Amino acid sequence: MGFFISWVRTFQLGINSLLLHPMRSMLTILGIFIGVASVIWLLAIGEGISQEAQRQIEKLGAQNIIVRSIKPPAEALGDGIVAVYGLTNREYEMLLETLPQIEHAVPIREVKRTFQFQSTEIDGRLVGSTPKYYETAKLTIDRGRFLTDSDFDKNKNYCVLAKGVASKLFPYQDPIGQKILLPELNDFFEIVGVLKHRGATAGIGGSFAAQDYTKDVYIPLTTMKQRLGRTIFRRVGGSFGGEFVELNQATLQIRSVDEVLSTAKMIQDSLRHHDKMGDIEVVVPLELIEQAKSTRIIFMVFMGLIAGVSLLVGGIGIMNIMLATVTERTREIGIRRALGARQSAIIRQFLVETITLSVLGGLVGIAAGFLGPLVTILVRDGLYLYIPERMSGLPSTIKTMTPQIVEASVPIAFGIAVLVGTLFGIYPAIRAAKMDPIEALRHE
Amino acid sequence: MNATALTVKDLTKDYITKSETVHALRGVSFDVPEGDYVAIMGPSGSGKSTLLNMIGCLDRPTDGLLMLGDDNVAHMNDNQLADVRASRIGFVFQSYNLIAQLSVVENIQVPLFYQGNLNRQANRRCRELADLVGLGDRVSHRPTQLSGGQQQRVAIARSLVNDPFYILADESTGNLDSNTTEEILTIFERLNDQGKTIVMVTHEDDVAERTKRIIRLRDGLIVSDEINEGRLRFTDQKTSEIIPENSMQALEAARDARFAAMTLPTNNANSEAAVNTPSGNDDDHVILGGQS
Repeated sequence: MGFFISWVRTFQLGINSLLLHPMRSMLTILGIFIGVASVIWLLAIGEGISQEAQRQIEKLGAQNIIVRSIKPPAEALGDGIVAVYGLTNREYEMLLETLPQIEHAVPIREVKRTFQFQSTEIDGRLVGSTPKYYETAKLTIDRGRFLTDSDFDKNKNYCVLAKGVASKLFPYQDPIGQKILLPELNDFFEIVGVLKHRGATAGIGGSFAAQDYTKDVYIPLTTMKQRLGRTIFRRVGGSFGGEFVELNQATLQIRSVDEVLSTAKMIQDSLRHHDKMGDIEVVVPLELIEQAKSTRIIFMVFMGLIAGVSLLVGGIGIMNIMLATVTERTREIGIRRALGARQSAIIRQFLVETITLSVLGGLVGIAAGFLGPLVTILVRDGLYLYIPERMSGLPSTIKTMTPQIVEASVPIAFGIAVLVGTLFGIYPAIRAAKMDPIEALRHE
Repeated sequence: MNATALTVKDLTKDYITKSETVHALRGVSFDVPEGDYVAIMGPSGSGKSTLLNMIGCLDRPTDGLLMLGDDNVAHMNDNQLADVRASRIGFVFQSYNLIAQLSVVENIQVPLFYQGNLNRQANRRCRELADLVGLGDRVSHRPTQLSGGQQQRVAIARSLVNDPFYILADESTGNLDSNTTEEILTIFERLNDQGKTIVMVTHEDDVAERTKRIIRLRDGLIVSDEINEGRLRFTDQKTSEIIPENSMQALEAARDARFAAMTLPTNNANSEAAVNTPSGNDDDHVILGGQS
């Protein structure tokens, strides 16, 4: 009971002493307040930007695992005219069924073909896929539409042309509604859409082979199966050979970037029997994943560093004030020591004051920190109103990000604030306690 | 035989600086029996302040014996000395030394706070003491709202709160005008009449004249230790009202039980009998039950 009372009393005393100099106490609190608020705030902005950056990296395909069929060397294939290799439809279905972390999957079958309209011909790639391919490959439509689920279900003879094919075959007319001939299939496909120009991708970070999208013609995978059959024969320059490939590639989009590597491992394990032929490659966007991770860490460290500095400055502010207070209250310390205060009691008294200051600063700082994201967005929107040209020059990550409060930053910032306040308060407190009571009493 | 509040024997204190050693006290011996009222006088540099610091347990002597009651405090550590100050010594300083941010009653409580004895009972007692020094209606005032004399009365109340072995008054009237000085001195006299031991350090002869016994120091030695034959006493009507006769008894009855149970950290507990009672006026000493 007495112990409790003495702490309550020490606390009351601390508050009294702080109220004696409200301005000074306020300024000290301000130091810690800015520190805590900026930790929460900056980390929230950092998190916002890094999430935005991650989204962009994900757009590049950080979540995608690509299972690709590769034509093995001739000796591995053995004799025979038809080379059988690659990912089968059954295997593809199996992967989808056994791995729940796969969100979307886009199978692709591609064949080199000649496309003809009237007397014009062009060699290109006939790509059979699902409507999802549009998103996964980041295609953009110029005119018409992309293939739809209903085209897919009904095995429609519809196709979408890449810009390169369209401008070659239809230099002077609208391709939409026209039909192109695939001489090798002896079949016509009606054009429903034309894509915008898309140059060859630069094979991001080496994970993806450079791919030329300009000579593509897209048709539903189902139609392709039906029209082409499973074995594809080709005559090239006098030689004749067939390939039996069910799927050339499957792009599997995984739920989150974190699961990509582990899922890739599982896929590799379940397709192990392909190992001896080496006809399947599981491609993981390692560089992208690494980039996503390091972006996050870089932002956290950078923002954390700035915030840490401001906390440190707040702490030094506390120390400064407390040292001034100790000097100013030397006489009081002398009186208290003369009246029987142990050194520990003096330390306790000053510590209570610094802790009170830093806790108060910390609490206000948390409140302000929570307002941070709102203020950030308001400021950004405000700047848009006044200097729209400059704002539009900013990187898109900054333009579109929403600050995200990092939950851990709240207790961490508060904890560090109190710790910093206490640490910087200890030195003045010890200095106060160690003072010779006789000297202190004489102090004017 | 009377109990001894304070025993000082062969007390020396050296201050060692870089260039020289200053012998502030060169062997001082005297006893203060309970109920005595002693003035310690001497010019500056006589060792008066040093002696005050020693018997106030604010500093440790270089050598010698310093007994509060039966406990030798000469070799106590810092915490033990702090506890002794909190529980056995009542300070009344020249400049009042009240704590500005505390009210009157809170100032009186301070020694109890450091004893860890702060409770409702103690709180009531502090109010009674404020009453005793005539400030019962100002317990919530801050020191800055009080006159010098009133502040010194708060200081006296504070010095009484822990029922000390002796009140140590350091030039307690030095900052006061003659009227207020008179008031404070009368309070001291009354407290002494009621059995309180008072040790007063002063350089003013007319203040010393009011005590029972005067010890004079010079160059770190006692040059005289005499009963003040020509003791002057004034009875001021106003102060009589402030501290009526026998007002302390009622307070003490409640307090004694509490403090009887209290023990002090003792090392080298020396039960050596009180040596040499320089004052012969034993009759003047009032023995309080709680202190023997």
